[in-house]
Amino acid sequence: MHVSDEGANPTETEPDRGETVGGSTGTTPLSDVRARWKRVRERESTIIGLTIVGVALFPYLLVRAPVISELLRGYQELASLILVWGIFAIGFDLLLGRTGLLSFGHAALWGTGAYAAGWLSANVVQSPLVIVGVAVLFTVVLSVVLGVLSLRRGGIYFAILTLAFAQMIYFMASAPLSFITGGDNGLTGVDIGPLLGSVELGSELPSIAGTLLGTWRYAFIAVALVASVAVILRILNSPYGVVFRAIHGNERRAEFVGFDVRRYKLAAFVLSGTFAGLAGALFTVQGEYVPLASLYWTTSGEVVIMTVLGGVGTLIGPVIGAGIYLWVENVVSGGYPFDWIGPYWHLVLGLVFVIVVVLFPQGIWGIVEDGRSWITERLEER
Amino acid sequence: MSLLAEAARILLNGLQTGAIYVLLAIGLSIILGTLKFVNFAHGALYVVGLYVGLLVSQETTFSQGQLAEFGFGTLGLDLGFLAALIIVPIVVFVLGIAMERFVARPFYDRPDTDQILLTFGLAIVAQQAFRVLFGGNSQSFSQPEWASGAVELPLVGGFPQWRLWVIAITGLLVVLVYALIEFTDFGLTVRAGTQDAEMVQLLGIRITRPYIVVFGIGAALAGVAGVVGGPLTVVNPTVGTDVLVPAFLTVVIGGLGSIRGAVLGGLILGITQSFLIQWSLVIPALGIDYGFAPWSQVGIYAIAAVILLVRPQGLLGSEVEIS
Repeated sequence: MHVSDEGANPTETEPDRGETVGGSTGTTPLSDVRARWKRVRERESTIIGLTIVGVALFPYLLVRAPVISELLRGYQELASLILVWGIFAIGFDLLLGRTGLLSFGHAALWGTGAYAAGWLSANVVQSPLVIVGVAVLFTVVLSVVLGVLSLRRGGIYFAILTLAFAQMIYFMASAPLSFITGGDNGLTGVDIGPLLGSVELGSELPSIAGTLLGTWRYAFIAVALVASVAVILRILNSPYGVVFRAIHGNERRAEFVGFDVRRYKLAAFVLSGTFAGLAGALFTVQGEYVPLASLYWTTSGEVVIMTVLGGVGTLIGPVIGAGIYLWVENVVSGGYPFDWIGPYWHLVLGLVFVIVVVLFPQGIWGIVEDGRSWITERLEER
Repeated sequence: MSLLAEAARILLNGLQTGAIYVLLAIGLSIILGTLKFVNFAHGALYVVGLYVGLLVSQETTFSQGQLAEFGFGTLGLDLGFLAALIIVPIVVFVLGIAMERFVARPFYDRPDTDQILLTFGLAIVAQQAFRVLFGGNSQSFSQPEWASGAVELPLVGGFPQWRLWVIAITGLLVVLVYALIEFTDFGLTVRAGTQDAEMVQLLGIRITRPYIVVFGIGAALAGVAGVVGGPLTVVNPTVGTDVLVPAFLTVVIGGLGSIRGAVLGGLILGITQSFLIQWSLVIPALGIDYGFAPWSQVGIYAIAAVILLVRPQGLLGSEVEIS
C-alpha cells in the first residue's frame, strides 16, 4: 500500500511539509483544495480554533443535544471531568508520545496538584485561580525532584523508578502525613470560592453560552484546556520540541549531535508534570474532594491507558482516550442500558487496551487517520 | 525485652518480608537480565499462585463474583498445603512457558515501552478476570496445621513458626536456582546468552530453549511466593501490584540479572521495613515517643532512592547498561 505523507508524519508538527507534497500530487481542483486545507489545518491558530469549537460543542452534544445525549447518557460534570483528564493525558503524552519516555508515576504529580489545591482551599485561599496557580508551582518543584531521581537510569528503569517513587509519595500521604492529607478518608473540607471574587463556578452561564457550555466550572476548565493546547503546540513547534522528537527518534544520535539528552528529558518530564499538576488542581476544583486513590499507581495506569487508547503522539488522541475511558467508567458501568456489559467494564477496557497495544499501536486516532488517508487516496485515484 | 532479643526479632521478621521480595525479584531479574523482557505482569503470576494455592489447599467460600452467582460459591480441592506447594509451581511454570511463547516472544523486537504497556495491560486483564470470577473481596489463606502456632527460639522467645518456614523454603529455592545458573551447562548457556545472545547462537546453541525455561522458572518462583506468602497476607485480585513494586525495587537496588543482588536487595528492603515497624524514637527527657511504623512502607523507597543516587547500577550490578 502506498504510504501517504499524512500517515508518515504527525500532522500538526510539520507546518510546511504539506505545501510541497500537496503541490506535487497534481493540479486537479480536488487535490488543490485538499492541499490548501492541509496547510490551513496545520497552522497553530487553526488547531487552537478547532479546539475552542470542540470544547464549546462538546458538553452540548454530551448532555443537552437531542438524540445524541440520550444515547450517550452524559451529564455536565462528566463533560468537565473528561476535560480535566484530557489535560492530564495530553500533558502525559508530551512525555510518552513526543519524547518516548513511559512514566508510571504521573499519579504523584496529579495527586500532588490535587492535594495542594485542596489543602490551600481548605486552609488558605478560596480563589480558584490562585489555588490552581500555587498548586501548579508546587507540582513543578516535585517534578524536578522526581525527574532527577528517575532519570538516573535510562530505558526501562525510568518506568520502574517513576512507579516506585510515586508509590513512595502515596504511602507518605496514606499514613505519616495523614494529618495533612486526611489519610484513607481523602481530603475533605475543600472549599472553592467564586471566580475573580464574583462568579460562582457552579452557576449557569448566560443565554447561548449556557446552552453550549453549561456551567462556569466547565468554562473555567475549558479555558485551561485551550491554554494547555496552545502552550503544548508552541513547545512542540519550538526548537525544544524538535529536540524532543530527535530524542524520540534516536536517543544516541541526539546525544552524538551534541544535545544534553538527560537535560532535555528532564525538561520534558517537568513540562509534562506541570500539566499533570494543573489537571490535578482542576480535578479538585471540579470534584471539591481529593481521594487518596488520586496518588495511587492506578491513576498513573489510567492516564497511560487513556493516552495509548486514544493515540500517542497526537493532541486529540489522548483527549479522545480520556473521553472513552471516563464514559465507560461512569456511564457504561452504571447499568441500564449497558447492564449486559456494565460489571465487566474494567475487564473489557483492559482487553481493548491489550488489543490496541498489539495490533494498533497508533491508537484510535491513528485508525481514524489511516481511514482518512485511505479515503483521500481513493478519491485522488478517480 | 532486651535489645539483642529485639534486634534478633527484627532480623527474623525482615528476613521473612524480604524472602517474598526475593522470590519475586529473582524471577524478574533473570527474565530481565537474560531475555531483556520487562514483565509488569509478574505480580499477576503471584496472584495466580495465591488463588491456585487457595483452591488446591483448602475449601473456600467465595461470596461474590460470577462463580458464586452460578452456584460454585464453595470451591477447593482441600488437598492440604503441601499439595499446593507442589502443584502451584508446576501450574505457574507452564503458565510462564505459555507467556514466553505467546506474549513475550512476539515482543522481543518491539521497544521496551511496548513490552511494558503489553504486560501492564495483561496485568489489568488478569486482575479484572480474577475479580469477575472470584469477586473483589479478600479471602484468608490458612496456615498449614503442621506449621501454625509459635515456636520457642533461644534469645527471641516465641516466634510464629510459619514465618521461619517461609525463610527456609526461600533459602532452599534460592540455593537451587543459584546452583542451576552457576554450576550447570544449562546455566552456562543462560549466562553466555546474557552476555551476548548472538554469539551463543553463532556457536550453534539453540538459545530459545534455555530462555523459555528461564521464563518458566522465574514464573514458578513468583507462584511459590504466592503460596508461601499467602497465609501472611490477604488474598484478593489487587495484591499483585502491591508486591510488584517492591520486587522491582529489589531488582533495581540489587543490580540487574544478579541473583546475589536480588537476595541482597530483598534483605535490605525486608529488614528496613521490619526495623521501621518495630522501632520508635523515645527520648524521655524531651517527652518524645514517636513510632516509625507509619513510615515502614515509605522507608523502603527512601533506602532505594539513596542507593540509587550513590550507585545507579545497583549494589551488585555491573556497569553495563542494557540498551
